[in-house]
Amino acid sequence: MSQLQLEQVRKSFMNGEVEEEVLKGVNLTLNKGEVTALIGSSGSGKSTILSIAASLQPLSKGRIIFDHQNLVELKPEQIRKIRAQQYGFVFQQSHLVPFLTVEEQLSLMLDIAEVKGSKYDKQIEIKNVLEKVEMTHRQSAYPASLSGGEKQRIAVARAIIHRPKVLFADEPTASLDSKKSNDIMQLIQELTHSLEMMTLIVTHEEEMLEYTDRVVKMSDGEIITVN
Amino acid sequence: MILAWKEIKNNKAKFSIVGSIILLISLLTFIISGLANGLSQDNMSLIKNFPDGTFYMAEDSNNSYAQSRIDEKKQMQLLENGEYSFAFSLQMGNLKIDSNKQKNVSLMTYTDNKYYQNIDNGEIVLDHSLKKEGIKAGDQLSFRQSENSFEVAGFVDDARFNHSPVVLINQNDFNNLFRTQAFQIVFSPIFNKDIDGLNAYSNSEFLNTIPSYQAEQMTLNMIVWFLIIISGMLFAIFFYMMNVQKLGMYGILKALGIRTNTLYTMIWTQMGIITVSALISSALLSQVFQSIAPTSMPYSLPLTSTIQLSILFIVVGFMGATLSGIQIKRIDPLQAIQQGEA
Repeated sequence: MSQLQLEQVRKSFMNGEVEEEVLKGVNLTLNKGEVTALIGSSGSGKSTILSIAASLQPLSKGRIIFDHQNLVELKPEQIRKIRAQQYGFVFQQSHLVPFLTVEEQLSLMLDIAEVKGSKYDKQIEIKNVLEKVEMTHRQSAYPASLSGGEKQRIAVARAIIHRPKVLFADEPTASLDSKKSNDIMQLIQELTHSLEMMTLIVTHEEEMLEYTDRVVKMSDGEIITVN
Repeated sequence: MILAWKEIKNNKAKFSIVGSIILLISLLTFIISGLANGLSQDNMSLIKNFPDGTFYMAEDSNNSYAQSRIDEKKQMQLLENGEYSFAFSLQMGNLKIDSNKQKNVSLMTYTDNKYYQNIDNGEIVLDHSLKKEGIKAGDQLSFRQSENSFEVAGFVDDARFNHSPVVLINQNDFNNLFRTQAFQIVFSPIFNKDIDGLNAYSNSEFLNTIPSYQAEQMTLNMIVWFLIIISGMLFAIFFYMMNVQKLGMYGILKALGIRTNTLYTMIWTQMGIITVSALISSALLSQVFQSIAPTSMPYSLPLTSTIQLSILFIVVGFMGATLSGIQIKRIDPLQAIQQGEA
């Protein structure tokens, strides 16, 4: 069974001449078809865990096992390929490319992930994903003409268009109002279940936890509870 | 490629400004290069039209054709190479167009050769530019240096020296006018081993011995090179500034897994589109300028010069854009994510 496992992950920074440990031996496993939420106070290390799990920053000690290989031992190009093909990202803000239409944003992601298939197949895939996020009617729109909620839906569509195994979402609802936040979280949960992704979400909004399957609470660089 | 084009399409104003500046700089470069080439033709078309070969002047001439006197024995030795080698002399003179008007000319005489027609005693052949003075074949003209008159036997194209039209004249008439027997220069299309008492020069080396030519061309070529370097710097600065604005977007794309090479290709494509469009426009404008420039202005921009300069612009632009792209390699995706909207 495909899993992403963090084993005894430690991360420390040099603060002047003092070494500060922000992650103190974290063990975490993401499972297929499950939304795992990371919660905790500011500075607890939850965003650091997400960025390390997503190979966006190196760890100091430990192992990250994905598809039976230790990512720590891979070369940068191999890591890039995994990020492009196996991971999907939703950020706090949508971070859409400002000069591309919705359709082009998704097409670009298919190119980045080097998804094989004809232009027609890709068009069908884009149409399907836009239907999933209920944004078919905004296919030709540029980001500047989209609302905050619409942008985030497109960001979700971009994150899943290439059928990643893992979805990383760093406070995906932080810039949205309550109604839109619920919509986005519901969408992420539905897609995680239907596409059988491993989803790791960092959030500080407790009301969003109802859309998650597992909640991991962190404090001072350590996991304190798993529910 | 598509990414690059889409950005240009959506930011027409920004890219148009960069393109316009490149257009203006390249147009200025083309025009100055056209003037440099035109002046060079006006100054030295006589020498520039010589085939590739070797020029010989006396060793004690101080690299000045005016002071050179070729020893007759050495001249004979060099002319043994055949009908393509010849000795020649040049002197400035004043051609009387009519009783009130004189024209500075360069008089040239030479030994028999395959390149220039033989001139009979009492005849002269003029550069075609003198036709504008109303001179026709068969006219009788004289020089300030002598009361003898000479019949115009014909005209030759592109024979100018020291910014003056060249007058081809028989050797005896030349000797009478300037009271000299020895030739100043020997030209040979093949390189003969060094000959004692003579200095050998290639075509370009010989041109550079002529002070007016060297100073004029050096100044104009320096301006052309400055403009090319400035355009390279402009590319680097503009793309650097545009890249700084887009670092967030590049960081996000890198987080999503885009190859750094794809981002470089995007910058190079944009540079290529802007530069090629600007260069085509400025090449066309420079040709328009050529057609409307006053005839008295020595301007000549051949297609080969335009293409060479354009290639140079593209190479310099490529270097500038690449230099500006170094920061792309250094982008930390995590920092871009944390910094907010792309």
